[in-house]
Parts: sequence; structure tokens; C-alpha cells
Amino acid sequence: MELLTRKESWNIAYEHALGETASWFYVQIRDHAKLYGRRDPKSGRVLVPPRSFSDQTLEPTTEWVEVGPAGRIETFTIVYEQFKTLPPPPYAFGYVLLDRADTAIGGFFRGIDLSDPAQAAQTLKVGVRVNTRFAEKRTGDILDFWFELESK
Amino acid sequence: MRDLPGKTHVAVVGCAMHAPRDAKQRSLEEAIYAVARAALLDAGLAIDDIDGIVVGANDQLDGRAISVMMASGSVGGVGRDILSTPSAAEHAFVLGALRVSAGQFRTQLVVSWSPTEVSSIPEALRLGTDPYFHRALPLDELSAAGLQATALESAVPDIRQAAISIVVKNRNNGAIAYPDRAAAPRETAWIASGKPLRWPLTDTMVTPPAYGLVALVLADAEFVKERSLPAPAWIQGLGWATEAGLLGDRQLAALASLAAATEQAYQQAGIKNPTTAFQLAEVADATPYQELLAYEGLGLCARQEWLRACESGRFERGGTLPVNLSGGALSFNPVYCAGLMRIAEAANQLRGRAGHHQTAKLERVLAHAASGFAMQYNTVVVMGRDPVAGTHSCVGARP
Repeated sequence: MELLTRKESWNIAYEHALGETASWFYVQIRDHAKLYGRRDPKSGRVLVPPRSFSDQTLEPTTEWVEVGPAGRIETFTIVYEQFKTLPPPPYAFGYVLLDRADTAIGGFFRGIDLSDPAQAAQTLKVGVRVNTRFAEKRTGDILDFWFELESK
Repeated sequence: MRDLPGKTHVAVVGCAMHAPRDAKQRSLEEAIYAVARAALLDAGLAIDDIDGIVVGANDQLDGRAISVMMASGSVGGVGRDILSTPSAAEHAFVLGALRVSAGQFRTQLVVSWSPTEVSSIPEALRLGTDPYFHRALPLDELSAAGLQATALESAVPDIRQAAISIVVKNRNNGAIAYPDRAAAPRETAWIASGKPLRWPLTDTMVTPPAYGLVALVLADAEFVKERSLPAPAWIQGLGWATEAGLLGDRQLAALASLAAATEQAYQQAGIKNPTTAFQLAEVADATPYQELLAYEGLGLCARQEWLRACESGRFERGGTLPVNLSGGALSFNPVYCAGLMRIAEAANQLRGRAGHHQTAKLERVLAHAASGFAMQYNTVVVMGRDPVAGTHSCVGARP
């Protein structure tokens, strides 16, 4: 007997509300090419990406703090597998602890030859200093910026 | 934090694990029915003996919103109390054990599954990231595992050799435990020369997602005695804890949540020296770096000793503490329910029902499950031939 399957594909769009805090963060990126975090008054930690409250203390954050644009690589990976909704690989991404921040933010690393994974991993090391680069045309999105090695 | 005093000891009295060869032979709900029924048969019980049910299901992988709605009928949830834990399959076990321990139910059926029906598991799992800051990145569970492996390789130099030896160990174990499943590379040179998927992880260092289902039956002490259920695996200690949600808020090379879960489980079980307390362990190993972190977090081996311990064969078959004799997720990787399978494998060893990889003379075993991005959720279960400390003080640990 023939075993059948039923194929279905959903194309549902979501429009997620960012709220005041994340909106302000992205507007600063879009209009001024600057990055900000929010300080938790109880712990003193600057949270990047910014949140309106700390999930450690459950206190509302109260102060904007400009962070970066330089920082250090906390971790990275290099992706060699195709995601359907992303450009063709390879690409490197990871987390960067921006200067004056206490938590790291994710982003792509660019300007690195990824053709030799081991060699690329020697260049992209934990602790290496990077700088934030901003796109010329910015839309107020996480893809408006990326990281490059500081020496470049 | 207040303790929730347990009223009774809890045991695993039935287990079933399925790895369907042909996913088209049964619908998902039919396959869930089959594994639930198999666990009941293994326990020597019928559905009328079951007071309540907890399932662990992942809507993204299932392609069913609130998938417990579809699955309720498969597991006996019609007209019977049923809850679902989407956070992790092993959380279904925790909740089921707590419900019995609290004296609210005498028995629980715990079921979880991980299908491969979705066209792209990486794309489906990307829904696990926050939609505000990180979803535009290629961040799925495997990428998160790559980020964690990088952080660990940086924190502990020269551990790649230990990681590769773990892959060899677990795949060799898997070839014995489930010879019909074992197909992944087992040669060191072959594993060491894999193609990168998410650097530093290669296609030979991880195992592709597989279709799997698992079910366990839990019962209280009175029920076990009343029914004369053979060889129960008693839960002596149970701990669970959670890391922060955003990866950038965490120290990926260390697991505070695992330390907290371990402390809770060991305290309940009265474990003073974990290096000698167990005869066998089943631990999270979606990547070999996860298993290394488990060695440390479970107090089995400090990170500076990882390479030496792996070289000595301490965690291999015949070693002082065999780890993942089932082959682990490095041999068979049902992504969402791999953690609950670790618990089921450890329980089956105690019950003398592990099959090809059964170990003799077991008194106490250890199970560890990790789920979420870069092991966000950690659960530790100590099981023994005797009830000993039971599951008293069952409150989630704080990392």
C-alpha cells in the first residue's frame, strides 16, 4: 500500500511591537549611528541590548548609557550551512561586549576571509578587539551594524 | 525559597523509547500512542492505572500549535488530567515526579517526542530566539552550541582532542546499544577531519536530528508495593535550574544552572562524593562539549582534568564511571526529547532493561538533561535501587 503525506506551507507574518526602549535604541542607530544600553540601578550593570527592566533584579532600568562602538569578542561561530531565509553562507557571527556594557550583543563579523575555517578562527578569537561599523543606509534594525577587527 | 515537602517516594516503573525507521508508517499521533502504550506494557499497567499525564512537546518541530491538544488522545488524556511542558522534555519528568511526590497522584505517564516533519529544523528552531535583537542572525540551537564550543575552547585550551574522543566513545557505545541505528563516523581521524557546520563544530562531531519518542511511567511507593512492580528505579534526588534567556547575558563556558541543579539533586540524595557515588551516568551530549561541561557541572571531573580523564578511559565502557553507554545524542539525536531519553536510559539500566548495553551490579545511577540554546535548562536526576532520600524538597534550584 502507498503511504501518503500531506504537505503544507504557512506564510504568516508577525509584526512584533518593540516597545519604547528597543524603539529608542534602534532610532539612535538609524538616525545617529550610535549604540546605547540601559543601566539597572540596583546592580549598576549596563544591559545591551537595552531592556526596560533587568531580568536579574526585576527593577526598571533608568538610564541610557552610550556603549561601544569598540568592544571585545566574547564568542563566535562561523556558519557554513544554508538557512532558507538568509544569504548564502559562509558567515561569521557572535557576541561582542561593547565598551561600557556589561552584557554582550549579537551581530555579524565582516571583513574576514572565511574560506579557510581554521584560519578564520585564528583571526576571530575570543578577546580580540572589534569596532562597530554602520551601514550607510540604515532602517532601524539589528542589521544596520556589524563588527570588524579593530586593526582594520 | 520554601521547600515543598514530598509525601512519598517516586519510582520509574515503565519505559519505552522508539526510533521509527519509516516516519510515514504512522502519523505523529499514532506514533505517540504506540510509545505510550509500550511504556504501559513495560510497566505491566493499563491506562486505567494512570492518574495523570505530563507531555513535553515542541510546537515548532511538531507543526501543531499547542501540540498537546492533538496528542491528548494518544496518551490517554481524554477525561484524565494532562499538562504540557514546552520548555523541555525533561521538565515533563520533573513535573510528573513532583505530582506524585506531593501525594496528589499515585501514578503519572510522561511522554515526549521529536519529529522531523518540518522542512528545516534549523529554521524552525530559530523561532527560539528573541524577535527584537537576534532573530535576524543565523542563530539556531546548533549555532548556539557552536558559540558555546568556541567559548569553551577559549577558556580551556587544547580540549578539541578530548571532544573528539567523546564522539568516538559515544558512537562506539551506540554501535553496541543500538546497532540498527549506528551509522555516524566512529574513527578518530574521520571525526577530526569533518566539514565545519558551525565552527568549531563539524558534521562529524554532531549527529543529524532524528525522529524519536520516549515515555515513562512513574508511581509512588505504595502503588509499587501494592502492585508488586518489579525493579523500580527510585528517584533519590532531583534538581533543575535555568540560565538567562539572552546568550549575551551568560558566561557560555560555565553553567551556573547545572551547578545549582546538581547541588539540589545531590543534597536530596545525600551524595557527598559524586566521583564514587554512581556506577553509570547518562548526560547531555548534543555536542561533545556539552558532555565536557556535564563532567564539570556534575562534579565528576574538573575541567583541567578533562583531557587526562578522557585519555584514561575513565568514562568509557569498562571504566570507573561509564558515561552514555546508550550512545547518547551523539549516536541518536531526537533533538527535543534527547534529554528525557537520557533519564529513561539511566532508569532502564537500574531496572535491568537496558538491552544490549545493560550493565551489571548497579546501585545508583546519574542522569543529566540539557535543553534550550547552549544548555539553558539543566536537569539532574539521581536514581537508585532503593528509595533512600526520595524526592523530598522538590523546588527548582536557583543558579
